[in-house]
Amino acid sequence: MSVLRPRTVLGLARAEAWLLVRSLLVLAGLLAGGFALWLYFRQMEQPTWWDAAWRIGWGQLILGMAVLAAAQLAAGRVRRNGLADLYASFPATAPTRTLAHLAGLAGAVPASLLLAGAVTAVLQARGAFGTPDLAVLAGGPLLVIAAGAAGVAIGSRFPHPLAGALGALALLFSSVTSHLTSGAAIWLAPWQLEADQLANLPGPLAGYPPARAHAMELACLAVLAGIVALAVTVRHTRTWGGLAAAGLVAVAAICFAGVLQLRPIPTAGLNQLVSEVAALASVQRCTSASQVRYCLYPGFGAQLPSLEAPVDAVLAHLPARPAQPLTVRQVAGLSLPDSTLTHGHPEPEVSQWTAQVQRAPGNASAAPASAIYVPLAWAGGGQLADAHFDLALAAAEWAVRLPGAGGVFTSGEEFQPCVPVDQAREAVAIWLAILATHPPAGELEAGLGGLGTGRGFQGVEVGNALVPAWNSPGSGSVIPPGGGPQTTAVGYLLAKEMTGLPEARVERILDGAWPAWLNWRTTDARLAAALGLAVPRVSAPSLPPRVTGPDASPPQAAVCQ
Amino acid sequence: MTVNVDGLSRRYGATRALVEVDLTLERGITGLLGPNGAGKTTLLSILATVGEPDAGRVSVFGLDPRDAAERVEIRRRLGYLPQELGYHRHFTVAGFLDYVAILKEITGRRRRAEEVARVLAAVGLEHRARTRIRALSGGMRQRLGIAQALLGQPGLLILDEPTAGLDPEQRLRSRELLSGLPGDPVVVLSTHQADDIAAICPKVVVLLQGRVRFAGTPAELAATAAGRVWAAGERDTRAHLSWRGGDNRWRHVGDHPPAGAELVAPTVEDGYLLLSHAAGAR
Repeated sequence: MSVLRPRTVLGLARAEAWLLVRSLLVLAGLLAGGFALWLYFRQMEQPTWWDAAWRIGWGQLILGMAVLAAAQLAAGRVRRNGLADLYASFPATAPTRTLAHLAGLAGAVPASLLLAGAVTAVLQARGAFGTPDLAVLAGGPLLVIAAGAAGVAIGSRFPHPLAGALGALALLFSSVTSHLTSGAAIWLAPWQLEADQLANLPGPLAGYPPARAHAMELACLAVLAGIVALAVTVRHTRTWGGLAAAGLVAVAAICFAGVLQLRPIPTAGLNQLVSEVAALASVQRCTSASQVRYCLYPGFGAQLPSLEAPVDAVLAHLPARPAQPLTVRQVAGLSLPDSTLTHGHPEPEVSQWTAQVQRAPGNASAAPASAIYVPLAWAGGGQLADAHFDLALAAAEWAVRLPGAGGVFTSGEEFQPCVPVDQAREAVAIWLAILATHPPAGELEAGLGGLGTGRGFQGVEVGNALVPAWNSPGSGSVIPPGGGPQTTAVGYLLAKEMTGLPEARVERILDGAWPAWLNWRTTDARLAAALGLAVPRVSAPSLPPRVTGPDASPPQAAVCQ
Repeated sequence: MTVNVDGLSRRYGATRALVEVDLTLERGITGLLGPNGAGKTTLLSILATVGEPDAGRVSVFGLDPRDAAERVEIRRRLGYLPQELGYHRHFTVAGFLDYVAILKEITGRRRRAEEVARVLAAVGLEHRARTRIRALSGGMRQRLGIAQALLGQPGLLILDEPTAGLDPEQRLRSRELLSGLPGDPVVVLSTHQADDIAAICPKVVVLLQGRVRFAGTPAELAATAAGRVWAAGERDTRAHLSWRGGDNRWRHVGDHPPAGAELVAPTVEDGYLLLSHAAGAR
């Protein structure tokens, strides 16, 4: 007389899996997860698999939340629907049903695989660099199953639907707060959402993140949640003993996986990474096109057309180029010290790496006057169009020899750009960038902030006066030549007026006296007069008295020369 | 002997739901009659291995429900309709029955499909197989409850007020269904409808205040009221209960014949009323 019949478990599991497959909640989770990933990846310039495979976890986390809620609803269905007495009369016992609910979580796996598969296919089609790490991708279905098992455990004890919703929120909370933990401990969260530098790596770094150990942790968490679910429904003392033993093994395995995740990244890997970040010339490959050098990390060649397009569009309108050729160089925006990367390594070693990285191009100083630095994650967050404008503006500033000189490093590593106050070349550069990339007028206007409204005025102190500033779209996406100037509101407004004139007419006037327009002493008024325009007038509040001493006012910016 | 109840007692706090109940249930339909709170549902839930007694023992087909393995074995031969049955409202009728069939360990797909079709036809819901349960009327849901109890042709069928909520025609159809069950199972039917008992139960048990007050045939229950039921033109206030019938004459159940009354043949209901009155007087 057997109490548990495997065929019954399988039959029920099949029924539960089918219910999960058709669950609207799971479908909603799949769509929401897919939408979140679409938002993230839609305008990414060139995804890299060591970053993208991990990002797919965001979508899996959302799907996992939905599966958790659906599994909780399923496991609590009997009690919630007033069927406890009837079900208690069936030969299939409560533990049998719990086992079936756990096995039925297989019904959520197709959704997880579909999500990972679809994103993988799209990223591959877009030429993602590198190869997807199966251990990272496998973590997705494991996370979904672990979340579902937690849902079964919750539903077996708490049938109210709110319990599932709270469980899903707890899962989300554990992930979004992972960055609050220090060092490599962030990998212990079900899926970490912040505080990593994957997008800044020029290549995969072994052990960062520790994918296999993380997948092992998720698998063991799923087993532990299943054991808890069974413990809630089992009544026999003898079975309890077995479950307790299995639970201890699962906890031990989770701890072991945790220890593996907290292991330091091998020194050789970090040495290699630091050298790739600091010594660009030794690893990057350069190509020349239209007399501009593009130096990229190996494998990032697919980004070349995207970099060339805005630069070429600016060059096409230039009557003459500067004597020194332009170099567009990729830089890794790696930032050290970072305890997620360097934990477990001796302090002198970390200091040495930190010093090397801080001296690296893109960190230590502004780009040289003839170079534009493009960070690896230059169009992150889906701002590709803005990043293109920023690159075009940087190329235009090189073309008009802005800033020339004036930008300085103030205290520490903070760079204070110079300001092209009343300099015609600034308006010319902005006009060239607008002509090259045609950004939406709204985004350009947004850069003025609260100018004219009396609210949110943005300005910069130059020569004991406040100069109204203009923040260009995508500002900060690239590091412009010489660090770039702080663009002014007058410069933008004059450039905007120029775009209203026939292009050929403006080009004729600029061509006629190009060296003069590049002179830093040539004023906006002269350019406006040449074009038949009025100089835009903007008002700025008067400057408060400067303070000296410990709470001294910040140093004033210099005029670009 | 198929189901034997020996000295069964159950308490809920200060309330004694069952008091040393002794009972033997044979194959065929046994009607369980009693007022609300008499202990019927408690007794049936213990027979269905859902509830546990404080004292006494139950034997079902020679199996002891206190033993885990034997309890499961009893459940494999059991069909149970609890008094208050909820439903998975988003399931279809056939989907719910199919799910219950798996819970009853009918794992072969073809056999399960045949079994679901059989019970659907038995309760007249074959045309509602794909209807979601939330769209069924109360009567249809009750029939669905009976259908799930019939799955697997159980040897012991426990039905707690199966005709509650059924219209007169459905009640008659349920009589037809229960009296024609294949395999001659042990059926325990709890109901407030004495005429249902009289119509289909060869044996009736009256449970009052947690104690078995009567166990015998419906005719024997009716016979307990012989000589204590009269018909008269006027109401007699000494009667335990009296009511005016459709013929405009008063029917009296009591110990004292009203003036000018004529003795009439007692029914199961009369016998039950007198038992209930006697138990209340104690």
